[in-house]
Amino acid sequence: MGELINFPKALWALSEAAQCVLLGVLIARKAYRDYPAFTFYVLATLLQNAVVFIVSSFFDLSPFSIWCISWGMQGFVLCIRALAVAEVARHFLGHFRGIWALARRILLGCAAVVMLYSLVISKHQWNLVILNADRGLELAFAAVIVTLFLFVRYYGLVVESRPRWMAMGFFSYSCFFVLNNTILERWLDNYLSLWNLLGTWVFLAALLLWTWTFRNYQPVAISVHELLPTGVYHDLSPILNLRLRLLNDRLIQFWHVEARRP
Amino acid sequence: MTLTFYAFVGFVVVLLGLLAWVFKSPARNVLPNLDAANLEDSGRSHATYLPQLQHAFGTEDVEFLVSQGAAEIALRLRKERSPVVLLYLSALRGDFQKLLRLARVIAALSPEVEAMQEFERLRLNVEFALRYESIRIAVRLGLAPLPQLRHINQMVGALSVRMEAAVTELGERAALAAELASSLERRRVDLT
Repeated sequence: MGELINFPKALWALSEAAQCVLLGVLIARKAYRDYPAFTFYVLATLLQNAVVFIVSSFFDLSPFSIWCISWGMQGFVLCIRALAVAEVARHFLGHFRGIWALARRILLGCAAVVMLYSLVISKHQWNLVILNADRGLELAFAAVIVTLFLFVRYYGLVVESRPRWMAMGFFSYSCFFVLNNTILERWLDNYLSLWNLLGTWVFLAALLLWTWTFRNYQPVAISVHELLPTGVYHDLSPILNLRLRLLNDRLIQFWHVEARRP
Repeated sequence: MTLTFYAFVGFVVVLLGLLAWVFKSPARNVLPNLDAANLEDSGRSHATYLPQLQHAFGTEDVEFLVSQGAAEIALRLRKERSPVVLLYLSALRGDFQKLLRLARVIAALSPEVEAMQEFERLRLNVEFALRYESIRIAVRLGLAPLPQLRHINQMVGALSVRMEAAVTELGERAALAAELASSLERRRVDLT
């Protein structure tokens, strides 16, 4: 982050312009009503770059102060990013109240486990603790998005294309970020300038994808599925599970009989 | 350092693989399947053809042929009956998938679901899929001999009582759910 001055200026300006365009599209299309966290996220990234640029260009601050401001802003943006991912998840499954309640707990658990995995794997590198925490969060975002897609597939739900593309944007950026940081960690000195450059390119690609996704956005009334009375699930689900178990038992016995034969 | 590198890269590769799998075989929308016909159909089972299968696989035929010195014909008989086992397995799988679909529809349309029930269903699904594939491969490769259905008879005897009770209850509940679904459908039509 502190190396912002070394960014190729044209690419940085392009990225800023793309963020402005996306923000403009979100506002013009009134998408901020349905996607407030995502809109705030785009605004936050725009502000982050602006603040870092202004601080590093116009103020005579020590490198450590600039480093603190840069990573502080990064932490703030990551929190907003988490909210934006949660918002996408709600657009995926929010119509299905029961599944959404279950999914929320699983997704949070998944994020916590992946964060823990990331921190455990990165042990004994306290000089890179912020980088590791950042990477852990990004890995958690990627895992949450994949889990979300798995949920949709498992329950055979149809999700509108916009949240899917948004999720793909977040996923590709997060995956790339993890790989980029992992490579940076290994070849720290030689890779730093390329790390910044590649990161900006991928973020730019995600911005373009999101802008394309919202290009013809029109707020529509959300079609809410009529839900069954609560009792139907509680009555039927155990019976269905019993039947599944019986069919499974049948297969087990089938297998055991085959195995017993000489 | 190397462990960290491979651990992260490996994790990302796994995520990409899972996502590719999801996109390669997208699930069909199950919600339109919530109609009375499907719900009622779920009460039926291919397992009801088991007596016919038992007859077809009775060891008496093979034993008779062997006793008559027609071992080759006995062997051919066994080989020709292998596809029947595969068909039966496939039918069992069809029953299983149908029930799973129904369970998912009900979960999707319910205001609250129980994690235990859902996890149990997921576990059963994974177990069934693994067993199904292993038996199918074994039968196809001729590694596993055809089942002695005398043993299955004993097993089915124990299971069928529970199964029939479950089917009966499911039939009643399915009729109730179908009624509810159709009344919801009517309400939706009325609103439009």
